[in-house]
Amino acid sequence: MPDWKELVRRRLQGMSLEGDEATEVVEELAAHLEETYQTSLNQGFTKQAAAQKAFVEVRDWKDLRSKIESSRKKEPHMNTRVRQFWLPALFTFFLSQVALMLIGTLGPKVYISPAAIHPRLLPPNTLFLAWLATLPLIGALGAYLSTRAGGRAKSMFSAITFPVVPFLAFVVIGLPIAMALDDHVARALTLPLFLVGFSAWVVFPAMALAAGGWFLRYLLPRSNGSRVTGN
Amino acid sequence: MIASGIKRGTAELAVLSVLESGSLHGYEIARRIEQQTKGSLRFTLAALYPMLYRLEKQKLIHGEWETSHNGRKRRCYRLTGAGKKKLAPLRKEWSQLFAALKQLAGASNA
Repeated sequence: MPDWKELVRRRLQGMSLEGDEATEVVEELAAHLEETYQTSLNQGFTKQAAAQKAFVEVRDWKDLRSKIESSRKKEPHMNTRVRQFWLPALFTFFLSQVALMLIGTLGPKVYISPAAIHPRLLPPNTLFLAWLATLPLIGALGAYLSTRAGGRAKSMFSAITFPVVPFLAFVVIGLPIAMALDDHVARALTLPLFLVGFSAWVVFPAMALAAGGWFLRYLLPRSNGSRVTGN
Repeated sequence: MIASGIKRGTAELAVLSVLESGSLHGYEIARRIEQQTKGSLRFTLAALYPMLYRLEKQKLIHGEWETSHNGRKRRCYRLTGAGKKKLAPLRKEWSQLFAALKQLAGASNA
């Protein structure tokens, strides 16, 4: 009788499974082949024919090896959604908030000229523009993380524009509530003011972040002569 | 794509169905399917084990080593709670598909 265990072990050599898993697989498959062989013998087949019947159970051992590897491989610690979306999204959000904080604390201290037409707008504008200028880089970093994890364009762009979600939520949910609760807010909020605020905290940051992602995903690979592809 | 999906789906249904009656080892699963389908469905070792391992990873079946009365060690598989839950909708889904195909085939023969 053929040594089924040895035969299977040799054919599946190099199988990348953890710990005793490879040994267990070899034992299990060898037992199956042995049973096939024994059944054929019991049915009256010759030893050679019985062995042949067992051998044809597997035509391509290399293919079987890779199928077993992929079917037994443990799930990664983080699932695909986390790696392609949540991790880059939170990373981008964190960096954008840190950048805003740092620029606010260490950024340019603007001299407010008494002659300036809208002196009150100057410091926030300067801070805002400086922050806006950092966003393409932050977007590109987030896009890199998502693309490296195999993220497609949709998950990558959703992830890197995630930092504007809290602002969007404020506009969509927080502002109506504030208007309902406080008359002053309702009276002070005009349509132009709303549009400026919405553009400044939602539209422009989203565009700046997306521009960084777009640059990394579509322009950079072309200049390197290769293209990043998602799965 | 569709062909491989259908093949995989029917194979899963076949394995989960035969395990409904009790725990079996790989060879018995293959034999049982072959017998119950009167030879229409036949699983080779190469087709069966990757699927058993995948179903086990999905926690639909659970495998455990057992020693039989003749001293042979065998890995026996049984249906888990999740596997039992999955079986009913899977059966329904496939019977609907087969009914639709039967209807189509009937219509084309008519």
